[in-house]
Amino acid sequence: MNADQHDNSRPLLDVATQAHDLARSLGADEVSCSVSRSTEVSLQRRAGKLEQAQRATSLGLSVSLLVGDRFSSHATSDMRPTALRAFLERAVDATRALEPEVERRQADAALCGRGTSEAVLDQVDSTWGALDARQRGALAEELEAAVDALPQRHRLVSATVGVGDSSSESVRVMTNGFVGEHRGTGFGMSVEMTLEEPGGRRPESYSYYGANHRADVPVPTHLAMEAWARAEQRLASGPIASGRYPMLLENHAAGRILGVLGGPISGGEIHQGRSCLAGRKGEAIGNSKFSLYDDPTIPRGLGSRPWDGDALRARPMPIVEAGVLQNFYLSLYYGRKLGMEPTTGGRSNWVVPRGSRSRATILAGIPKCIVVTGFLGGNGNGLTGDFSYGIQGVLYEGGVATANLSEMNLSGNVLEIFHQFAEAADDTYVYSSVRSPSLLFDGVQFSGV
Amino acid sequence: MIWFSQFGLTEEVIRQVLSDALGRGADDADLYFEHLNSTSVALSDGKVNRASTNVDLGLGVRVVVGDSVGYAYTEELSLASMREAAQVAAEIAAGGQPRTVERIGSRPGPTADRYAVRQPWELVDMATRVDLVRSWERRTFAADPRVKKVETMVADTQKHILIVRPDGRLVHDYQPMTRAFVSVTAEQNGKKESAAANIAQRQGLEFYSEAHVGALVKKAIDDTMILFEAGKPPAGEMTVVLGAGSSGILLHEAIGHGLEADFNRKNISIYADKLGQRIAPRGVTVVDDGTLPFARGSINTDDEANPAEKTVLIEDGILKSYLHDEISSRHYKVKPTGSGRRESFRSPVLPRMRATYMESGPYSPEEVIASVKNGVYCSTFSNGQVQIGAGDFAFYVRHGYLIEDGKLTRPIKDVNIIGNGPKVLETVQMVGNDLQIDIGGWTCGKDGQSVPVSQGMPTVKVEKLSVGGAS
Repeated sequence: MNADQHDNSRPLLDVATQAHDLARSLGADEVSCSVSRSTEVSLQRRAGKLEQAQRATSLGLSVSLLVGDRFSSHATSDMRPTALRAFLERAVDATRALEPEVERRQADAALCGRGTSEAVLDQVDSTWGALDARQRGALAEELEAAVDALPQRHRLVSATVGVGDSSSESVRVMTNGFVGEHRGTGFGMSVEMTLEEPGGRRPESYSYYGANHRADVPVPTHLAMEAWARAEQRLASGPIASGRYPMLLENHAAGRILGVLGGPISGGEIHQGRSCLAGRKGEAIGNSKFSLYDDPTIPRGLGSRPWDGDALRARPMPIVEAGVLQNFYLSLYYGRKLGMEPTTGGRSNWVVPRGSRSRATILAGIPKCIVVTGFLGGNGNGLTGDFSYGIQGVLYEGGVATANLSEMNLSGNVLEIFHQFAEAADDTYVYSSVRSPSLLFDGVQFSGV
Repeated sequence: MIWFSQFGLTEEVIRQVLSDALGRGADDADLYFEHLNSTSVALSDGKVNRASTNVDLGLGVRVVVGDSVGYAYTEELSLASMREAAQVAAEIAAGGQPRTVERIGSRPGPTADRYAVRQPWELVDMATRVDLVRSWERRTFAADPRVKKVETMVADTQKHILIVRPDGRLVHDYQPMTRAFVSVTAEQNGKKESAAANIAQRQGLEFYSEAHVGALVKKAIDDTMILFEAGKPPAGEMTVVLGAGSSGILLHEAIGHGLEADFNRKNISIYADKLGQRIAPRGVTVVDDGTLPFARGSINTDDEANPAEKTVLIEDGILKSYLHDEISSRHYKVKPTGSGRRESFRSPVLPRMRATYMESGPYSPEEVIASVKNGVYCSTFSNGQVQIGAGDFAFYVRHGYLIEDGKLTRPIKDVNIIGNGPKVLETVQMVGNDLQIDIGGWTCGKDGQSVPVSQGMPTVKVEKLSVGGAS
């Protein structure tokens, strides 16, 4: 081996420790060094043949530095020893040109560590290493066969199926004494379909599932049928009259509307004066039926983690409980800046408690309801709370689907939408870090024709 | 080649890796070496308190068999790692006669020079970057007493790429980029509003001329202050006038993506069988252009070593061309349009847009606005999205104005506008004579890959779109 090549056999902990110590010796007062390695494999099939096969093994290093209370962050994939040294020298030098801020100092080591054991988080599927190219190929073929077995295939213009899996490990070493190692595996399957309808429109749909454990991904038939059902909901679609309608937000799409809270409750936005929820902790921002929790400890949760960005132990916290805003996302830095107790810097799993009635039962009791199945474009303004999103969906009248909807927008405001919340269904979606059932809202503003 | 020799690359090494890629009887292959250095410096809360740097180095190997692609990459440019990546990518091929590798560099590649840098970022020290963001902050505070908080940021990237093809092409390109950002939070009569502006080009430090910085700060201030007066427009379908410049986002979403040839080759775009047909009224000409000097979306070479060009997509209303990479150009038996692009060595090439715009028409912007009895005028945009097959698209308007009796009246803000691409094209009623290419830092996402793009538009009137207002 060339003397200036990275030795791939070295444990990540050695690499991270050495880089940490080197940065310290070059003049950094505090260093947080992470090294991560991942392997990803993906296959796509279309029209009976392999369309793309991709394999990637990645190794990268990132450091955050504090030099005389001046802060900077750096990342590199050039792991050659001489390159790494030059990279760290430049990083330390660059940091000296900035202005100091004591709020960037690392956390007290006593607050750092693993909030939940690796065994409880259960994010590693021990069978990952046994998966070989033949099995992956067979799985992709099985998925394609499930699509081929669908009825009414004459309307199908194209179907692409994909399978993928990954394994990752990372190590973090900090000057405050924290050392953490984390591993995870991932498995995913997808079906994308395009149907053709008279007039040339080719509505598309998809079904995608990802999980830490292979056994948690639904069977191929489920994906094929779901993609087909969603595609059928896109046929002959169009807008209906503008107005206020009850909205049933499908569970897998709930993240977009819940997400309007994300900006206004983040420390960075509050600190910059860009949040409509600043100063409202303890106030009702929704009605008493609405609650939302952040929980990083859920076994196999796609947003679960042992510690957060500051290496603080991950722990559950309420965001909104019975309509009352309970917590902001405050990293160590923004907590100190705002003079508030830090919570955690960013979202893990979001959980909306499930209700007791099925989606169908809820819909049956409503004369006219827009079921929102997906979104198209849109954005919001965290300072005023206004948001506006394009939607696709289905109009239900007395529990019966009567029209497929497209070319419509919904508009609302963060300070109002959760007061319009009416009910959660019993169908929690667990294949996302937003674990929500379908959600019913009253009187949502839709624009169409 | 010279740049990459510092990593031990020689003609012999490259030949060996490329031979491995072609070793199982592939039709074609490419090696894409990339070395990227980027730096950003940011100011918030009155302090230049954040900096970051990023170094990325690696090789992507693509092996093509018909329209099937095998792809692998490595971040380590040792011979063993590169050969392993090539052999993994080659597994897509069934096994057959290896294709010959011509002498490396024996065939010329693109030679354009569209972004010659006068003050390279490699020679700019941190103190200069710190002074830049500090001076923008001071200037922004000084411009209006209502400004309460300012954030500024400057970022630059220097990217070297080397593309090697079995037909002997070896192309090196140096792709600089810089982006500046100013965000303002202002207060008026106890009410707060916030907006941000950014500009980007393939240039060095010289990009931050008085004119560019002045325009950036003015836009951040103007886009914030207008919001104090703005309200929601009525909800529903109405006539929409798109202001010149960044409203090219409509073309990008409504037309551009649908004309990327991979979607058409697979028959999943709504434009799949419309080549040669009229899809817009006379007078509508839309191009995608990789040749504009210094533009964020410009490229000297695409990522398959083909020259970037100005591709006419729609000419006087007739659909003339898709945007091709080599796979689609072989499928359609046409020349590649130099549109094969990728985010980095970690991703395979796809047909992508560069700078998409509509050519100017005959009307003055005033004539266009005066022709509308009731409608909305859109001036500042943030993001958009499209469904390729259905043709439905959306774009988000940060602010604009109502048009009442031919005049701009009340400001409006924060509305999503949604429509159907082919239907909207058919109902373009007037095209202004004031084409502007926007210099905002636009980034286009497709299949998980982000690439820098530009867009532009003259003032254009569209008969009706659905506006997400309040009833």
